[in-house]
Amino acid sequence: MLSIPDTYPIDLKPFPSDLSMPYTLTPGRAAGTFLAEIGNKRIVGSKFKNSGTVAVPAQDFCPKSGDSEFDLVEAPSTGVLTAFTETDAGLIGLIRIDGADFDFPHQIVGASYGDLKIGDRVEAVWGDGAGDSILAIKGFALAPKAPVGKIKLLENPAKQLEVVPYRMDLHYEHAFGPYYGRLFDEIKTNRRIMGVRTSNGEGALLPPRELDDITHKKTGTWVEVKQTGTVRACSVIHLQFIGQKQPPPYVYAEIILDGALTRLIHNISGIDMSRAKELVKPGTRVRAVWRDSEPTGSLADISHFEVIDGEAEGR
Amino acid sequence: MSANRVAVISSTQTELRGNWSGAQHIDLIAAVVTDVFKGAGLTLDDVDFVFDSGSDVLDGRSISNCGFLGAMGAHHKEESRIEEDGLWAALYGVTKIASGAANVGLIIAYSKPSESDTSLFYSSQVEPFYQRPVGFDHRAASGIQAQRYMADHGVGEKQLAGLVSRRWAAAAAGRKVPVEAVPSESDVLSSQSVARPLTKLMMSRPTDGAVAILLGSEEIARRTTRTPVWITGMGMSGDRHSFATRKAGALEACEAAAKSAFKRAGWSKPTAAIAETSASSAATELMVLESIGLAKAGRAIGLLDDDKIAVNKSGGSLPADPIMATGLVRLAEASRQLAYPAEYGLKSPTTAIAHGAGGVGMQTHCVFTLEV
Repeated sequence: MLSIPDTYPIDLKPFPSDLSMPYTLTPGRAAGTFLAEIGNKRIVGSKFKNSGTVAVPAQDFCPKSGDSEFDLVEAPSTGVLTAFTETDAGLIGLIRIDGADFDFPHQIVGASYGDLKIGDRVEAVWGDGAGDSILAIKGFALAPKAPVGKIKLLENPAKQLEVVPYRMDLHYEHAFGPYYGRLFDEIKTNRRIMGVRTSNGEGALLPPRELDDITHKKTGTWVEVKQTGTVRACSVIHLQFIGQKQPPPYVYAEIILDGALTRLIHNISGIDMSRAKELVKPGTRVRAVWRDSEPTGSLADISHFEVIDGEAEGR
Repeated sequence: MSANRVAVISSTQTELRGNWSGAQHIDLIAAVVTDVFKGAGLTLDDVDFVFDSGSDVLDGRSISNCGFLGAMGAHHKEESRIEEDGLWAALYGVTKIASGAANVGLIIAYSKPSESDTSLFYSSQVEPFYQRPVGFDHRAASGIQAQRYMADHGVGEKQLAGLVSRRWAAAAAGRKVPVEAVPSESDVLSSQSVARPLTKLMMSRPTDGAVAILLGSEEIARRTTRTPVWITGMGMSGDRHSFATRKAGALEACEAAAKSAFKRAGWSKPTAAIAETSASSAATELMVLESIGLAKAGRAIGLLDDDKIAVNKSGGSLPADPIMATGLVRLAEASRQLAYPAEYGLKSPTTAIAHGAGGVGMQTHCVFTLEV
């Protein structure tokens, strides 16, 4: 069904890649106040003015009506278990706090799955430290005799938390496929840069691919492109940013290798960086410099491109 | 003003595999985009727009469609990416053709969940202050849905296991999902517990794959295809983001989407001969069938032995869930079953339903009605 073989003599292991994304989340008035008060062992909810419905934990909008006019209320730490399951994160239940109109999920502690039934009375178990996360509540424990609590107006609310620092880490194992597989295997084992001819045969596409992007026709045979090329665009990078691979300043460049039709992104080094703007320009001729270290099968095996003195192409 | 009629002209998909380890997204996409034109009487030059579905988070790169444009045949064409299941991309495409703004549309959806961790993908969709820290995620939502459904209707784990086994057998027979061994009821029951009462095999299995569909206006469809499959109704709806505040034991958004589609189609009741649906688990598959109206509440399990309606003859999403492409696969399957019923052992069906869903605990739903 797939018009390419899904196994190939060159079997590179998938390429591991991690995305680590820093965030500064803004919780807003409702969640911000909830998080500011949870360390004081006060559970904050919202009571919506038009409907009188109560959401615990606090929400900026009524989940039912969308009403955004609300008073902050202090909720009791008792409620009812309305549903539950067990995953590798533990026992997770939906809790309806006494006096609230909506459920929310939390951990169930001190019990096993078989002990639980829908409608059980539960009570919050506070963690040892305070903290400004919902995990200041360790979870909810079965509390058959806990009296039914009441919602009351929140007095002297703490100032809402403005920002919550956060980080999300995502992990990937990217498959190379037959075309990138050959490209990176050749870089690793032979220090060769391989492209494929376009459908009209006039030059090489790099990275290689099955279909020509422009004509959507099959690409042609493999071809080795030269390790020399011409800068087509460049920028001297002084800024620092997240995800940067080397300390600035350095020259980021788009290079067309001789024989290729497409631009390769790499860095240019080995020059007096204070004169970078005059030494590297569109038209500057460059040559790949390979790293001496153990090859990795990636473009990082090329340390950088160096300027070829005395060779400059007119634009 | 009445809208122009729109038909599915052709469709194709790669095998749906647990792991296409030897192919990139672009390899899978290139395969279906090349294949979908075979015998269609159209070429890429005839295509007015390319709409595609996939997930940046699953793909591990931002605006991932930009890297796939060449493979999609979208060079210098109108291209749009829908960050929802591919059935929504089809909905967008149908609307565009129905309005008279275009004649031929290429719809593509793709997925490689094998490259990432689907539990992280789903937990990235969960609210970060109250829900993510306590471990609430897609699995917990699915477990809670199953628990409530089973408690409300007296459906047992054994019945869910029976459903799963039948769906895997159907997938194996359809030959588009490689299946080494069809799991038996006891295999399903004894597989690892994921979100009690659900075991691993009761959850949909994420798979890699790509699917492409050509949509055409009535004039194009009559000229090019032997059996145009008309899209006569569409509906979509989204429930509250917070799972805990949705109506317990129900998929209200699915009901709303189905009602809207049936109204458009002029159907007074859901009397389809074919249904292809999406679900995150065996329990939600039953809930979807009931929300669409194919069975009364708690009775969808009876559809397994009902020969009036072919439900998930492809196997559905339990054996193969190419997340973000699952619903578009349902449209491809349902339209093929309508166009070539003999291949599927079906007797002259004239109506079908295709359903897609998205989000944690199936927050969003999309329903198509199809007729020949």
